[in-house]
Amino acid sequence: MTDAATDSDDASVVRALRRGDEGAFARLVDQHHASLRRVARLYISNRAVADEVVQDTWLGVIQGIWAFEGRSSLKTWIYRILVNRAKTRAAREARTTPFARLDAELEAEEVAVAPDRFRPADHPTEPGHWADPPPELRASPERRLLAREAREHLQSAIEALPEHQRLVLILRDVEGCSTEEVCNALGFQETNTRVLLHRARARVRAALEPYLEGA
Amino acid sequence: MGPSTGMPCRELVELVTACLDGALLAGERARCDEHLRTCAGCRAYRAQMEALVGGLGELHREQEEDRAEKAWLLHLFRTRGHHNRAPRKRTVPLGVADELAAPGDHIGYFWEHEQELDATADFLAAGLERGEACVLLGHDAANARVRAGLERRGLAPDAFHRLNRLHTVSGQQPADAVLRDLGDRIRTAVADGVPMVRILGHLGWERPGWPAEREILSLEARVTDAVRNLPSVVLCAYDVRRLSGRQLLQGGLECHPLTLRHTSLRHNEHHVPTRPFLERLSADA
Repeated sequence: MTDAATDSDDASVVRALRRGDEGAFARLVDQHHASLRRVARLYISNRAVADEVVQDTWLGVIQGIWAFEGRSSLKTWIYRILVNRAKTRAAREARTTPFARLDAELEAEEVAVAPDRFRPADHPTEPGHWADPPPELRASPERRLLAREAREHLQSAIEALPEHQRLVLILRDVEGCSTEEVCNALGFQETNTRVLLHRARARVRAALEPYLEGA
Repeated sequence: MGPSTGMPCRELVELVTACLDGALLAGERARCDEHLRTCAGCRAYRAQMEALVGGLGELHREQEEDRAEKAWLLHLFRTRGHHNRAPRKRTVPLGVADELAAPGDHIGYFWEHEQELDATADFLAAGLERGEACVLLGHDAANARVRAGLERRGLAPDAFHRLNRLHTVSGQQPADAVLRDLGDRIRTAVADGVPMVRILGHLGWERPGWPAEREILSLEARVTDAVRNLPSVVLCAYDVRRLSGRQLLQGGLECHPLTLRHTSLRHNEHHVPTRPFLERLSADA
């Protein structure tokens, strides 16, 4: 699942952790801690409890490292531990709303762009083409997206996503995991992961359209 | 605006994610490229998506620095890692008698009464409730009893079997094979992100199909070292009414660094480390 360079990097990190190399552990924490915390909060709304789950995850890494054989990348393994614990904990926490079923979330029809933005299918010259196309982008839209006001909209658009879409979008686009890593960490099939990612991006784009256009 | 033939824009916008991911088949890819070449609206749409994905990736950089938290995690690493030879901190609820265990523990449990036998199901129940995986390594009668105990506690054994959280490992094979199977179970569970694996041994001393006493003793002696560095707690039940003095002494007392009797878990002064135990075992032959 990973290229040879990552495999050998992982192997040397694992050896260092088994030796008790604190520097290696500190680097691993720097790489993943903030991400793990954000992902834990997707499962558990109470921040203190979510942080406990992250701490438990690190403990799982510390105690499980001798049994880790590199069947997946180190990063995927750490996320698996997190997702496992977060689910167990979420099930026990009365205050947490239960996760919707994945198939229910997938069954609902969703289109990327509102149908009224397109010409009808029986249009004489341009069936199904843009009636109201997005305008050309101006320079550096990413920067505009990250300006304070847009950023708040971006955060709330992410928070408004259905649960599984949100998980996939955060892992894939915010945390920079590969599709395969997302599938392994969450136990989803690749096709489902792609559908969820596509829908999530489409929803967030629609919510952020004014900022993307730079109006 | 757009081209009047080929793929409609409506269709293209549904392929943009796969397109950016490089996940389209060659034919689809060519149709998309062709469409994008001639359609400014879709090019703008794709550019918005790229900008969005870029912006989302930047959110990642906004890290909350938390030095106190990091210092605490380093402390956990220093004190709880298996490279540390100091006594392990006991934090794992044993499920029996309010005691706490530590990962890597191998415990001999001496039982006499039926309710003490039933308490071995509590050991597994505590793990299943905490999201751990469990392994039954016992003779049929004991395994059936433990399963019934789990069922009574509302933990359906079949459901946990299906979830890969409850396993049965056969003890009716040589010690090498048992140890290999246990190691596989633990490593697979750990790879799946399971926090801990509980192993419950109701070993089948002198039962049909089970190895000879020496083989079981060798297994007991070697389990201690095999799980020492693993996130696993092993509880071996010894029926003091039924087992021989030699089985209780050598298997129960000399092979377990910890013992559980009634409600107390204790360090066991009679424990003999694996190598001298095995040397003596082969000298006795």
